Amino acid sequence: MAHSGRFGAAVALLLASLLAGCSAPGVDRPQRAGAPGSPGSEPDCGTGPVVLRARFEAGFPLARALADEFTRHHPNVTWDVREEQFAVLTRNAPRLLVDDPPDLVRLPQVADLVGDGLLRDLDGYAAWFGWDDWPPAQLRTMRAGPGGRPRGEGPLYAMGFSTSVTGVFYNKDLAARIGFREPATLAEFDEALARAAEAGITPLAGFNAGATGGLVFPLQALMAAHGSPAAINDWVFQRPGATIDTPANAEAARHLQRWLRAGYFDADLNATDYARMVDRFASGQALFMLDGDWESATLDRRMPGRVGFFLVPPLRAGDPRAAMSGPPTFGIPAGSAHPDCAAAFLNWAVTDRAARETTVRVGGSLPLGPADAHLPPVEPGSVTAATLAAAAEVVAGGTGMDFVANATGAALAESWTPRLQELAAGERAPEDLLRLVQDDYVEQIGG
Amino acid sequence: MTAGRRGRAAGPLLLLALVVVTLAPFAELFVTALHPPGTYPRGLTWPEDPHWSNFATAFRSARVDRLLVSSGLVVLCAVPATLALAVPAGYALGHLRFPGHRVVFGLFALGLVLPLEAVVTPLYHQVRDLGLLNTRCGLVTALVAVHLPFAVFWMRAHFAGASRELSDGARLDGAGPWQLFRRVHLPLARPAASSLAVLLCAWTWNHFLLAIVLVDDPEQRTAAGVLGAFQGRWGTDVPLLCAGTLLILAPVLPAFALLHRRVSADVVRAALTKD
Amino acid sequence: MSRLVGWLFVLPALSVYAVFVLRPLALTVQYSLYRWDGIGPSTWVGWDNYLAVLTEPDLVGAIGHALVLVVIFTGVPLCLGLPAAAVLRRATGGRAVRAVLLLPQAVPLVAAGFAWSLLLSSTGAVNRLLAAVGLDGVTRAWLGDSSTALAAVGVIGAWALLGLCTTLLLVGVDRIDPALHEAARLDGAGPWQEFRAVTLPGVRRELGVCATVTTTAALASFDVVYVTTQGGPGNATAVPGLEVFSLAFAQREVGLASALAVVLVVLVLAVVAPVLRWSR
Repeated sequence: MAHSGRFGAAVALLLASLLAGCSAPGVDRPQRAGAPGSPGSEPDCGTGPVVLRARFEAGFPLARALADEFTRHHPNVTWDVREEQFAVLTRNAPRLLVDDPPDLVRLPQVADLVGDGLLRDLDGYAAWFGWDDWPPAQLRTMRAGPGGRPRGEGPLYAMGFSTSVTGVFYNKDLAARIGFREPATLAEFDEALARAAEAGITPLAGFNAGATGGLVFPLQALMAAHGSPAAINDWVFQRPGATIDTPANAEAARHLQRWLRAGYFDADLNATDYARMVDRFASGQALFMLDGDWESATLDRRMPGRVGFFLVPPLRAGDPRAAMSGPPTFGIPAGSAHPDCAAAFLNWAVTDRAARETTVRVGGSLPLGPADAHLPPVEPGSVTAATLAAAAEVVAGGTGMDFVANATGAALAESWTPRLQELAAGERAPEDLLRLVQDDYVEQIGG
Repeated sequence: MTAGRRGRAAGPLLLLALVVVTLAPFAELFVTALHPPGTYPRGLTWPEDPHWSNFATAFRSARVDRLLVSSGLVVLCAVPATLALAVPAGYALGHLRFPGHRVVFGLFALGLVLPLEAVVTPLYHQVRDLGLLNTRCGLVTALVAVHLPFAVFWMRAHFAGASRELSDGARLDGAGPWQLFRRVHLPLARPAASSLAVLLCAWTWNHFLLAIVLVDDPEQRTAAGVLGAFQGRWGTDVPLLCAGTLLILAPVLPAFALLHRRVSADVVRAALTKD
Repeated sequence: MSRLVGWLFVLPALSVYAVFVLRPLALTVQYSLYRWDGIGPSTWVGWDNYLAVLTEPDLVGAIGHALVLVVIFTGVPLCLGLPAAAVLRRATGGRAVRAVLLLPQAVPLVAAGFAWSLLLSSTGAVNRLLAAVGLDGVTRAWLGDSSTALAAVGVIGAWALLGLCTTLLLVGVDRIDPALHEAARLDGAGPWQEFRAVTLPGVRRELGVCATVTTTAALASFDVVYVTTQGGPGNATAVPGLEVFSLAFAQREVGLASALAVVLVVLVLAVVAPVLRWSR
């Protein structure tokens, strides 16, 4: 039997060598850049029945709510929606767009996909619908140059519904216990964290489990405070020569390490996922949570009137506050069956009054669109009001950054997450973290 | 064999501990499934207000009936196909022993220890090139191929013990090779084949990697592949996830309970029969 | 001619197997010599991928973790299964216990992994038990702590394989001639010596089969890690199975994934062959 096993292996190897002589794998796929040029007539969904297939992110109800609202206004359009976790969406995106493209897909970032010609060029729609007339900063993160790099300029490859903003949510009841006021500087924030820890309150709710290293939120916030949001943006946009491994960022990483070592996060940080973090904060088990305004609606529902929000404070009082900001982006695949209808939906979602109200009510964030577009009223004192005001401040000041997790398709799962999990476990020095992430980044962009 | 009272008590204690540990995850799933949706209950605490409706919610919102049907279809296609291929092959390798049978068996034996990851990437591209990606058909074909080594091994082990006198007698009576197989040996192989079928059903139902690689739509996968999609649907609504998981496990457990004794005896016999 | 009829019987199975398993295996070897993203054109890189597999710390670490899992997946079921088999031989109600022990084999590993992730969480049953017996200081999120995550994954795999090993060993233990035990005892052997001299050699074959199954499961493990830790925290539970999947489909490094897969196959053969030879 051992003999036949060896024989079998030999035969298999022979097959292998025979095949190795064959042509190399992979084909030169012609770049399908979608429909360039302006559409001849208003892109719409027609009058016949249309089924729009979409992939959205699980746990973020805004897209689905808008889709349902759209069907109410356009009864001939129905939806076939599948929701998936962020990490799974990111991982499956290239395969999905090649093998079975839906009509609309939530994408974390577009650079790699544009490079492979998998996404439809939306400039034609932008010209027709007038998206070009909006403040350009709103659409910047969704533009990409030829081949996908650099981002931030070039044709438009994705759209969003709203500009999200990230910052610090805080529990007003717990805050009162330590006499907390919204901080003007980072040092005041540190002090508040220390006071909370002394009072026996968990200062920071965090998540860092699985394939989504949540510490990337506080890290980027600190990097923006210690350094320059513009430099971070250059790195995320894959501008030539950009690096994340800078002295200012190293200082920020050490700052994060101080928070970790002081025990400001829960001990099981590396086993806590996003939903659990939100649940902990919303159940009053932590004072602060560094998160984005997509949770405002949920927090207003679970803790009405008891949640506050502020942008991460700068080093020096009075300096502009930076924040991760930008639309959760949706792209139309090059192989989509109903691109015009999908584009019409995207346009409707940012211009229609009912849609904008849904965006604020369900998504808790500032809808995209021209500066004078209808802004739905919000209940004063709600955290949604606070996050909307913060978003407006960031947009006006131009201090928005794209998320560092979006730098490349694999940046979050393969680089940031493991290194941040190691940092949280005390197994990685802050400087090494940045150096390794930069090394991965260079390799991933094919340098 | 065991000496002393301490020795004698240790045995049953060990078994008890093993049984408790074996059943703990099932208990955890069941107890947690009864908690209010969206909560994070502490381990193994019985809820004050058992939400039996969670099972109905999970069933409806995940369309568990469609998922079970899909998984059932995969099994109903894959298992008979595997048997149809493996039984003749096992017969040829175990009983007929044609020239070159050792080489062929060696090829199948290689598949017994081959990790699936060694073939998953080219298999994906191959299935895609055949246009069978994201179809149950493609998944079934891949599963059949992947389970063939064990199935052939199993049937060969059975046929190796088949009686030569029976064959010789039948040949003297004028039976051709096909009749010999169909009339004489096939009926005798039925117990071994049915045990194999049970094992293949379980393995197909529980297969995960190929299901998530080859099929994107959870409604076309195996039951295990569906579980991966459950996490997408409910984010991490733990009680609902538990309820959904139990619904997916439900068909397997009673079937297993009924058939385990027969299967385990045959597993052992085949595993220990070489050449 | 009649001797060759056997080929006709085996050809259908062999064809399907060759097309959908052997050909992909050969293709994996071919892919490992290129750098390819799975979509566009590929570039020849020769041995570079293998060099990366054997030198990059993440990938070497993954192989190391697989070997650790081999020890846990094999050691725990065997060390617990053999005494369990010995007890089950004479125990009443043994059949029910055997059925229960085999139950983990009937469930998908992803379901088991999910259930265990609940048991092992920071507020899970395991920690509650430890606290109840006064071991508060030891409690933690077992799958989220990089020093225990791999062991925790090992426990889940061992749980799944225990019943199978017990069943296999039970047959072996049953088969040993009682006279041998008698003879050993008459010679004055204590229980441990009896075990070593009579029981162990008697179940050699079953041990071999058990070890083969558990070893292959450990080296190829994917389901459990995918559903519990995704390779984390850090890279503490990165295993070759998961790395191949991640490299091929998420990072779009098909060549590197294939090289790792080939190394994995060699590893499996290298570990299983001696085990099988010893068990004869």
